[in-house]
Amino acid sequence: MSGRAGTWVLRGYVLLVFAFVFAPIVMSLIFSFNADRFPTIPLGGFTTHWYATIFADDGFWRAARNSLVVSACTCILATALGFCTAYSDYRYRFRGQGAYLGIILLPPTIPLIIMALAMLAWFSRVGISGQVYSVVLAHTVLTAPFAMAIIRLRLERMDASLEAAAWNLGASEWRAMREVILPFCRPAILSSLFLTAAISFDEFTVAWFVSGLNKTLPVHVLEIVQGTIDPQVNAIGTLVFLVSMTLVVLAQLMIFFRIQRSAP
Amino acid sequence: MSEPLVVLDGVEKRFGDFTAVRRADLTIDEGEFVAIMGPSGCGKTTTLRMLAGLETPSAGEIRIGGRSMNDVPPHARDTPMVWQSLALFPFLTVRENVEFGLKMRGIAAAARKARALDWLDRLEIGDFANRIVDTLSGGQRQRVALARSLVTEPRILLLDEPLSALDAHLVIRMQGVLTRLQRELGIAFVYVTHSHSEAFAMADRVVIMSRGEIAQVGAPRAIYRAPANRFVAEFVGRNTILTGTVEGAALRTPIGTFALPAPATDGATAHLVLAADILHIARAADPAARNAVEARLISEEFVGSIVTLFLEAADGTEFKVQMQERALTGLDLHAGGRFHLTWATDDAHLLPEVPA
Amino acid sequence: MKPRLNAYALTFRLPILIWQALFFLGPLLFMIAMSFFLVRNYRMEEAFVMKNWERMLSRGFVWDSYWYTLGMAALASLTASLLAFPAAFALAFRTSESVRRWAIFLLVIPFFTSYLVRTFSWYVILAESGVINAGLGAVGLGPFTMLNTAFGTLVGYMTLTLPLVVILQTVTLAGIDPSLIQAARNLGCPPWRTIPSVVLPAAKTGMVVAALFAFILSFGDFVAPYYLGGSKPPTLPILIIDTTKAGQQWPRAAVVAVIMMVTLFVIAFAAIAFAYRRRASR
Repeated sequence: MSGRAGTWVLRGYVLLVFAFVFAPIVMSLIFSFNADRFPTIPLGGFTTHWYATIFADDGFWRAARNSLVVSACTCILATALGFCTAYSDYRYRFRGQGAYLGIILLPPTIPLIIMALAMLAWFSRVGISGQVYSVVLAHTVLTAPFAMAIIRLRLERMDASLEAAAWNLGASEWRAMREVILPFCRPAILSSLFLTAAISFDEFTVAWFVSGLNKTLPVHVLEIVQGTIDPQVNAIGTLVFLVSMTLVVLAQLMIFFRIQRSAP
Repeated sequence: MSEPLVVLDGVEKRFGDFTAVRRADLTIDEGEFVAIMGPSGCGKTTTLRMLAGLETPSAGEIRIGGRSMNDVPPHARDTPMVWQSLALFPFLTVRENVEFGLKMRGIAAAARKARALDWLDRLEIGDFANRIVDTLSGGQRQRVALARSLVTEPRILLLDEPLSALDAHLVIRMQGVLTRLQRELGIAFVYVTHSHSEAFAMADRVVIMSRGEIAQVGAPRAIYRAPANRFVAEFVGRNTILTGTVEGAALRTPIGTFALPAPATDGATAHLVLAADILHIARAADPAARNAVEARLISEEFVGSIVTLFLEAADGTEFKVQMQERALTGLDLHAGGRFHLTWATDDAHLLPEVPA
Repeated sequence: MKPRLNAYALTFRLPILIWQALFFLGPLLFMIAMSFFLVRNYRMEEAFVMKNWERMLSRGFVWDSYWYTLGMAALASLTASLLAFPAAFALAFRTSESVRRWAIFLLVIPFFTSYLVRTFSWYVILAESGVINAGLGAVGLGPFTMLNTAFGTLVGYMTLTLPLVVILQTVTLAGIDPSLIQAARNLGCPPWRTIPSVVLPAAKTGMVVAALFAFILSFGDFVAPYYLGGSKPPTLPILIIDTTKAGQQWPRAAVVAVIMMVTLFVIAFAAIAFAYRRRASR
């Protein structure tokens, strides 16, 4: 493993791994502009037909709108819940704290298919299944742990005396929350909003089970894929990728400008 | 009724089984500079936090300006604090940091800006008003923390080891800034530190704490010359402590019998505290000396022109001798060398044994 | 300030408890209860019967599916760990800090693309008339059947897990104190032996956690075995979907889900105990 030759072999291997990871993403981008219905090599001609098809499809727009609503509501709810939990864990020492953290952090370790069945059954039982908000309720459970983790890490980096310093200067607990804790956590809250929105936007297993007729975009894709080979999927995938990456880049930029502002 | 500014009346603080502060009685006057000093874990910071309302006493009462503070939350007291970590708000500019306390009191933006800038100028950091605190040096941030606490014009300022993060030369400078400010403003400073040089250099009165109890309260010189107990004697400076039995006007110890500076009960155990600067060191024995000990030189320590010699008597008792470096000439110092130590009876301090 | 339970504290502590009780613990507990419900005339009745359990546990195809799913998930976990290791090793020890950070950033990108679309892409790539067979055909090889096989399923599992495993392994390996490796080399440990004798023991916890994540994700995934593996045989997640969506047999699906959960808990606890055991005694 030592020596230049070994190093180059290893670097070549890294490129192979990246090729495997990015092959499907690149392929879907290429085939979204490929004229042949059954994608093969050599490629058919260039076309924007698949994009035209989805833009003309009411089902696509309904699903896209549902997805936007779901991820917007989910990211706000999950970030709010995650913030409250992270702050409670940071500020207080209480009995049963381990179990308390377990309850919020557990969902990502349970397979989505199990959560999907459990939520479908329970939501149907209490009569809140098959709606757009059903997906919001479910996605909030699934994404709140990520919000909590991001914000908790930020609080960990806060000077332990900062909140007390605010009280000491005349701020009540509520005022200190507004004037000190929230501003300090701002970058983490922004990251959390974007991350939870992105996870919610891509999630299809639980959404498929609990959304009923109010399909979200990934569920729409799932149903197209189940039918036949349809290059529409590539076009939708490419669009979703662009939207998600824009969100991620925006999040990065906002944090970057924040740092710029605070520079001398 | 004119009560002192701050009164601690039998204040006690327990955390579970651990007693952090035990039956503390203390008063602080208007305009007084009080240092609370002790090793870590002695309860000094807990005492300060109780003054700020960050801890609630388990027993006893704290009164500030004659008013009981036990149920007053921190934000409703006017007891600003300078924190060990400074705890400046990293997302605010220097000016916004200083304005914080005024903003919480609902003072209009224009007025609080003027007052903040005024204080920044007063502490000679007006040029940094619009900077983010992270870009300031340690000494500058120290001044921001001071301005932030003083801008509300309190009657008392609490300081929790504020200089512990600074370089030695900056510490001396900030000590000057602090004492000058305190005198100009005429408000009370309560200054917690583990460093006796800081406490003794600045304070009107020093409170020494040990294991949650107040061991001694007094002016720096009084504590230095007359420590109230063995803990203070050992903590406060480079004192040599001789323990023995009282026999008339003398104390019998394993290394000799020495004259007592004050009367004591015959037969009782007592200690003689010898400050490092009262001991006289010589090569040859002085037959006229009333108190003399022979000791072997172990090591020496130079700090500028002051030298401290560490010697050991026959029974292992350690003697510390402090003197000007100039006075060493002709002594022929080398480790293992034998010397004679003498002192004047009245310079020693008698400490009667207090049953624990 | 004394941390007592006031309105302020409760405002921050309670919301998540209420939310998770209603929408997380509620569903899970209800699902467990549902596995004992009775289905009569296509209608579910709340009861307490063992019928669903007896029925599912006595069926050969359920057990076939169970062992197949378990085996495939274990295989995926092992494959992902082995495939990731040389790459993680290179990123951790043979590249600069900035290259490593870029690599991790690139590996995060797949998480923001649809897993479904990526799987569909593999479908196109692996098909009999797909990209790979077209390439091989040009040099006179093939065509090879890759879709609807265990290989196809495995490719899907790798799509799901490999980026995460590479990230976790890289972070773990990069966290090893480099002086540890230098010390071993100094003491005469040959380069090829530093990996098993120094690197792996030091990175054990992180490696096991990465493998565990790969296992959990593969075990619960239905997309890869369904679209790339052709559901031959169906895995447990596919069984849940078929039972839920096709028939009205939710209680039987719940039985499968409970079996999956119990299996996962046992394996996760075993893996974590293994990951931390040696550390404590060292």
